[in-house]
Amino acid sequence: MLYEIFKFEILYRIKRLDTYIFFLFLFLFSIVGVDFIYGGVDLGPIKRNAPIIIARTMGILTGISMMVTSLIMGVPILRDFEYQMESLVFVNPIKKRDYLLGRFLGSFVILLIIYSALIWGIALGELMPWRNPDDLLTFDIMRYVQPYFTVVLPILFFGAALFFVTGALSKKLIVVYTQGLFTFVLFLVTRSIENRFLAAILDPFSLTTLSELTKNWTPIELNSQLMPLSGVLLYSKLFWIGIGLLIGAFGYYRFKFQVVSNGSKKKRKAIANATEETADLNNELPVVTIRSGLKSQCAQLFQHAWFYFISILKEVSFWAIVISAMVIILINSINLGTTFGVDSYPATYFIVEELLEMSVYFFIIVMVFYSGELIWKERGAKLDLIYDALPSNNVINLMGKFIALAYTYMVIMLALILAGIVFQSTHGYYSFELDVYFISFFGDLLPTLLLFTFISFFIHVVVNKKFVGYILVLTFFITSIALSQLGYDHDLYRFGGHNIGTYSQMNGFGHFIASFLWVKAYWFVFCGLLLLVATLFLVRGTETNFRIRLKQAKQRITPTVVKTGLVGLVLFISLGSYIFYNTNVLNKRWSDTEETAFRAGYEQTLKQFEQITQPTLVDVNMEVELYPASRNYTAKGVYILVNQSAKEIKEIHVQKLIDNQVTLEYLELDVPASLQEKYLPYSYYVYTLKDGLQPGDSLQLKFEQVFTTKGFESGASNMHILNNGTFFNNKDFPTIGYNNKYELRRGADRAAAGLLPRKGMASRTDAFELKNGVNGDDGYKINFEMVIGTAADQTAIAPGKLVNSWEKENRAYFHYKMDSPMINFYAVVSAKYEIVRDTWTPKTDSLEPTNPVDLEIYYHKGHDYNLKRMFTAMKKSFDYYSSNFSAYQYPQMRIMEFPRYASFAQSFPNTVPFSESLGFVLNIDDSKDVDMAFYVTAHELAHQWWGLQVVASNVQGRLFILETLSQYSAMMVLKEQYGKEKVLQFIKGQLESYVKRSKGVDSPESPLALVEKQDYIYYNKGAVNMFTLQEKIGEKQVNLALKRFVKDWNAFDPNFTKERYATSKDILEYVDAVTPDSLKTVVSELFETVISYDAAVKKAAVIPQENAGFTLNLDIQLDKWERNTTGNKALIPNTAVAVAVYGLDAADNEILLEVHQVQLYAKNKEVSFEYKTKPTKVVLDPNYMLVDINRDNNTKQL
Amino acid sequence: MSSLKINNVSKTYANGVKALQNITLEIPTGMFGLLGPNGAGKSTLMRTIATLQEADHGSITLGDLDVLEQKHEVRKLLGYLPQQFGVYPKISAEQLLNHLAVLKGLTNAGERKEMVQALLHKTNLYEKRKQQLGGFSGGMKQRFGIAQALLTNPKLLIVDEPTAGLDPAERNRFYNLLCELGENTVVILSTHIVDDVKELCNNMAIINQGQVLLKGNPLDVIGDIEGKIYQKTIHKNELKDYKENYQVVADKLFIGKPVVTILSDVAPGNGFKNIPASLEDVYFAQIFNHNAKH
Repeated sequence: MLYEIFKFEILYRIKRLDTYIFFLFLFLFSIVGVDFIYGGVDLGPIKRNAPIIIARTMGILTGISMMVTSLIMGVPILRDFEYQMESLVFVNPIKKRDYLLGRFLGSFVILLIIYSALIWGIALGELMPWRNPDDLLTFDIMRYVQPYFTVVLPILFFGAALFFVTGALSKKLIVVYTQGLFTFVLFLVTRSIENRFLAAILDPFSLTTLSELTKNWTPIELNSQLMPLSGVLLYSKLFWIGIGLLIGAFGYYRFKFQVVSNGSKKKRKAIANATEETADLNNELPVVTIRSGLKSQCAQLFQHAWFYFISILKEVSFWAIVISAMVIILINSINLGTTFGVDSYPATYFIVEELLEMSVYFFIIVMVFYSGELIWKERGAKLDLIYDALPSNNVINLMGKFIALAYTYMVIMLALILAGIVFQSTHGYYSFELDVYFISFFGDLLPTLLLFTFISFFIHVVVNKKFVGYILVLTFFITSIALSQLGYDHDLYRFGGHNIGTYSQMNGFGHFIASFLWVKAYWFVFCGLLLLVATLFLVRGTETNFRIRLKQAKQRITPTVVKTGLVGLVLFISLGSYIFYNTNVLNKRWSDTEETAFRAGYEQTLKQFEQITQPTLVDVNMEVELYPASRNYTAKGVYILVNQSAKEIKEIHVQKLIDNQVTLEYLELDVPASLQEKYLPYSYYVYTLKDGLQPGDSLQLKFEQVFTTKGFESGASNMHILNNGTFFNNKDFPTIGYNNKYELRRGADRAAAGLLPRKGMASRTDAFELKNGVNGDDGYKINFEMVIGTAADQTAIAPGKLVNSWEKENRAYFHYKMDSPMINFYAVVSAKYEIVRDTWTPKTDSLEPTNPVDLEIYYHKGHDYNLKRMFTAMKKSFDYYSSNFSAYQYPQMRIMEFPRYASFAQSFPNTVPFSESLGFVLNIDDSKDVDMAFYVTAHELAHQWWGLQVVASNVQGRLFILETLSQYSAMMVLKEQYGKEKVLQFIKGQLESYVKRSKGVDSPESPLALVEKQDYIYYNKGAVNMFTLQEKIGEKQVNLALKRFVKDWNAFDPNFTKERYATSKDILEYVDAVTPDSLKTVVSELFETVISYDAAVKKAAVIPQENAGFTLNLDIQLDKWERNTTGNKALIPNTAVAVAVYGLDAADNEILLEVHQVQLYAKNKEVSFEYKTKPTKVVLDPNYMLVDINRDNNTKQL
Repeated sequence: MSSLKINNVSKTYANGVKALQNITLEIPTGMFGLLGPNGAGKSTLMRTIATLQEADHGSITLGDLDVLEQKHEVRKLLGYLPQQFGVYPKISAEQLLNHLAVLKGLTNAGERKEMVQALLHKTNLYEKRKQQLGGFSGGMKQRFGIAQALLTNPKLLIVDEPTAGLDPAERNRFYNLLCELGENTVVILSTHIVDDVKELCNNMAIINQGQVLLKGNPLDVIGDIEGKIYQKTIHKNELKDYKENYQVVADKLFIGKPVVTILSDVAPGNGFKNIPASLEDVYFAQIFNHNAKH
C-alpha cells in the first residue's frame, strides 16, 4: 500500500504543471546563482567555480528558495482537505503510516528532483558568456553533485519534514509559509552566535558551517578540494536531519486519521442548538437604494480593505511574523555603526538600518504570500461566485485588497518601530527621532513594497494560476535585483527606482528626497496602469480560458477605462520624460561603455604628457562662494606657478575636474598664450606660451570655477556639495598636468581597450616619482589664502589662521591665511556647527618651545559625546609628538565633522575633517572598549608630522611612512593614556583584521617597506609590527630614530635642500642605526620580508610534585614561513616565543604566574617549568610579537 | 419589471461538451422553474444569466439591458445564490452580510442595518447572527445564502439548486422565503426535484443535454398529458419487454414490486390503469423521449 501511495503521489506530481515551473525557476535562478550571490564581490584568488563557492551558492540558493520548498512540501496532505477529499481518502482501508509516509516520500523524491536543478543550473552557469574564463577552474561535475548531497539534501529533508508536518497539522498554507520565515529567523540568529562552532552547527544553510570548515584552508586548497562531509559540516547536517526526524515523528504522532479534528467540537455543539427558531416570515423587507456614487465607492473600497485587513489580523501566523520581527532586533547582534569593535549610541538611523536589513525577508514573505492569498481568498473559500456577481467594480476589488496589504505592512512597521524604541530605551537612549523612523519605513520601504505588491497582483490576476503566480512573482523579484546588480540601474528601468539614501543627522535625507519622490511617482503611475490592465483581465465567474478573458477584457474597456488609461499613460510619459530630462539631459549619465571608452581615450591621448616638465605651484589665493541651499559654488582662484626646472617651459597643461556639474567661467594666464583646443574633450587645457617660461620665472593662472547643481541624477548623486556638511578638497579645482586617476583600472577593460596593464607603484629608485610628494603633485610648498562665503547659519573652514570673518548680504564670510608654506592639500568644509574650544600648552620638555595651540572642534549639535576624549587626544598627541618627534608647525588645530556618507578622517594642514560616523557618536565603555575616538584623533594628528612635515615620495613604501608611522604614533599616545593592556586589545583586533584580509589575496604579499595600496598591510600589519619593534628595541630607540628622520626629512624646514622626498629605505636606515646587532635580523624580518607564524601548544601536562609544587611540561610548536613570489617557504625558526603561564590566587582570580622567553631553534620544543601554585592556563605569545595567522591554538587551559 | 429573454444561447466548453444548445426562453416575473437532470446545463445557463459566464452565441436581455454586455448594470439588479458556495469560517453571519451589503452598494449605514436585520429575521438567523459561519449547518448556510441574495431587493433572483442537501423542514422554510418575494421579481429556480417546481412556479422549462425540451405553465403541461398516463404492477423480469413495447416514463418499486408508468395516447389495455398525470410524468416523458432520440 505504501508503494501505491508513493507511486500515486509521484504520478500526480508529474502531471502537474507546477512541478515543471518549480524546476524551471530553480534552474534559471541557478544559472545566475553565482553571479547573484558573488556579483560584486572580489573573490581574490578563489575561482568562481571553486568547490567552496559552489557549495555556498547551493546553500544560499536553497535558503532563498525555502519558499519553493514550502510550496511543494506543504500541500501533500493539505490538498486532501482543500479539495474536500479527506472523507473519501480516509474511509479507505489504508494505514496512517502508509498514507503519511507514502505522501511524504513521494513528494520528497519530487522535491529532490526539482532541486537537482541546482546542479544543472549552476554548472551551466559556467558557460554563460559574461563569465571570465580566468575566473574559472576546469569543469568538474563532482563539484556540483557532491555539495548537492552534502549541503543541500540534509536541509531539504529538514525543510520537507517541517513543511509537510505543518501542512498536515494546521491544514493552512499560510502557516506553512510562515515556517519558512522561522527557518530564516533561526538562520539570522545563528549569524549572531559568538561561538563559531555552535553557530556553524546551527546554521541551516551551511554558510557559517562552510567558513568554519575551511577556516584554515589556503586559497589553493579552497580551489582544489571538495568540501568534506566531516567535522563541523557532518555534525551540522546530522543535527538538522535529526531535527527533521523529530519533527516528522511529532507530526506522525499528532496527525489524526479522521475527518473532523478536535478543533471542531464547538462546531458540532453549535449545530446541535441551531434549529429551534421561528422565522419572522411576515415582516416585509425594507426597500433600499443602491448607491454607486464616488462617496459610495470610497465606502466600498475602505470596507473591502478593512475586511481583508481584519481577516489577516485574525491569522495566528501573522502575529507570529510580527512578534518574531520585533524579537529579532532584541536577540540579534546589532551593528550600531560599529567601528573597531566599538558601538555607537543607538541613534535612530542605526536602528532603522538594522531593522530594515533584518526585516526585509519578512516583508518579502508577507508581500509574496499574503498578496497571493488575498487574490485567491474568495476562490479559496468558494465564495467567488457570490462575490463575482456583486455590482462592485474590479478596481475596488483589487484596490481593497491592495489597501488591506498596505495596512498589514504598516502594522509590521509600527511593530518594528516599537521594537526599535524599546531597544533604544533599554540602552538608555531616549532621543527617538520619530521622523527618521517614519520616513524610513513609511516613506521609503512602504512605497517599494507597494510597488512590488502591484506587480504581484498583476501577475496573479493575469496568470490566474496560484502557484505559477508565486513563482513568477519571485522570479520578477530576483530578476529586478539581479538586473540592478548587473548595472541596469537607471531609475527609469530599475523597477521602483533607488531607495531614499543614507540618512545623516547632519544633512538629514538631504537632497535625495526630490529625485526619490519623482521616481516613485513615476513607478506608481506605471503600476497604476498595470493594475488597470489587471482589472480588465480579472476573472469574474467561471471563465478562465484566456481567449474568452481577452474578449471580456475588450468588453470591459469602457470610456472611463480609456480615459483613465490615457491620463495615466500621459502622466507616465511626462514623469518619465521629466526624470530623463533631469538625469540624462541636465546631468550627464555615463553608461559603462561610454565611461570605459572615455577613460581609455584619456589615457591614450594624454598619457604622453604624464612626465612633461611643468611649473610648480607656489601660491594659491582663492575666493570661494558656497551656496548650500542650492548646492552650488563658485571659486575664483589665482595660482602662481614658478618654473623650478632648469629648462624653458613652453606649454602649460591644466586639467579641469571631469564632472559636467563643474564648468570654468574663465581660465587665463597673465602672459600671452594660445589654447590648443584638441584636448578639450578631456577637459584638458594646453596653453602654448608665446614666450617660454624661463627657469626661475613665474606666471599667474587665474580661473573661476562654477559648480552647478541642475535637477537631479539617477540614483546616487554628488555627496560632497551638500545642504549641510559640504566637504571637498583641492583636487576638485584645476590641477596641473596629466591626472592618472582618470585611467581605466580593471585589467580586463584595459586589455579590451588595448592598454597595457596598469603599473603598480614605482620602485624606490624611480627618479621621477621620488620627486613627487603627493600623487599627481603640482607643487609641495604653497602659500595659501582663502576667503569662503557661505550661508549665514553655516561656518566654513579651510586651513590657516582665521584672519577675519564678517557678514555681508546675509552671508557669512571667513578669511583664512596660512602663515608658513604648507603642502598643496586643503579642504573646504561648511556646515551648521557648534564650536568648542580649548588650548594646548606645550610642555617644557618640548623639542622646540612653541606658542600654545588653539584647539577647536566643529561638531553637529548633539554630537558632543566624545568631544572631551578628542580634546584629550589632541593634547596628549601634541605632548607626545612634540616631545619625541619635532615641534608642531601650526598655531591651530581644528577637527570638523562631516556627514556619514563617507567614514574616514583625513589630515590637512591644521585641519582634520572627521566623519560623523567615525568618532562623534561612539558609545565608548572604557571598561571594555578601546577609546577609538581618542585613537583616531591621535592617528590623524600624527599625520601633521607624517605627511605634513615628512613628505613621502610616491614610490613603494610611501604609505608605510604615512600610515604605519601614524599608527605607531597613535598607539604610543594610547599607551600613555590608557596603558599597555588597551594597546594589546587594539593590536589583537589589528592582527585579526590582517589575517582575515590577507587570506583573500592571491598575489604575493609586499613587505611593509614596499607596500603599495594594501591597507591591511600598512594599517593592520603595520600596527602589529611597529608594536613588536618598540617592544624589541624599546620605545625610546624607536622615537630617537623617528626624531632623526623628521629632522632630516622635514620638507618644510627652511634648510631642507634634498632633491627628493623620503622613502621607506630612509626611515629604515634610521631604525637600523638604533637597533643592536643582535636584533637586526628580527627588525629586517618585520619590515623587509613577509614572515608568518603559527605557534601552538601541542601538549601540556601538569604534574604535582611531592614537595607540594607543580611541574608544567609543555610541547611547543612554531611554524614559520616566508610568503614570497613562489608561494610559501617553510623556515626553521630561530625565534624567542613568550610563554605566559596563569594560575589562581586565593580568591580564585586568574593571575599571571610568570612569562618565560623560550628560544626555539627548531619547529618543536619541549620545556618544563616549576611553580608553587597550580598552573591553569598557558598562552603563547601573549603580546602579539609574532604575525601568528592562527591564534586559536595559542592558548591551552590546563 | 420586464421579463428576461434568452434567445438562441449556445455554449460549448473547451473539452467539447455542448452545455447549451440554442436555448431560447422568455421568463416573466414571478417564479420560474428550470428542471432537468444533473448535467443538463442548468447551472451553466444560470451562471450565464448571472453574468459569470460567457455565451458563445445568442443574446440575453433583461428589459432594456443586454445581460451579456451590460454586466455591471445587471449585477445591480441581481441576486444570486450559487449551487455550491463556501463562507469565511471565522466571521459571523451578520458581519459577512454587512460586508456584502456594502459591496452591493448599500452604503447608507442606517438602511443597511435595517436590511441586514430584516433579512436575519426573515431567514431565521437572527439568534445566530453573532456566531461564526464556520459553525453553521448546511441549512443555515443555505439560508444565509438566500439572505445575501436578497440584500438589494433584486429584480432578478437566480437560485441554483437551493434545496440540495436540505431536510424537508429546511426546504419548506426556504421555499416560503422565496414565495414571499414580490411579483415584480424574476425568480429563476433550478432544480432536479419536480415537486419543487410544481409547488412554487408559475412557469417552467425542462432542459436536458443543453436543450430546452419543454416550456410552459406547470398546469398546462400536465394538462397536455392528462388521461394519457397508465400504470401497472408487473413482474421483475418482464420489465425489459415493457420497455421495448411501451413508452415507459417511469419504473419504480412499490412494496418491492416494479410498477411501470407509461405514456400512451390510446388505452393500452393489458392491465394498465389510467391514472391522473403529474408533473413528474411530464418530466420523465420528456427526458425519455429526448434520450431515446439520441
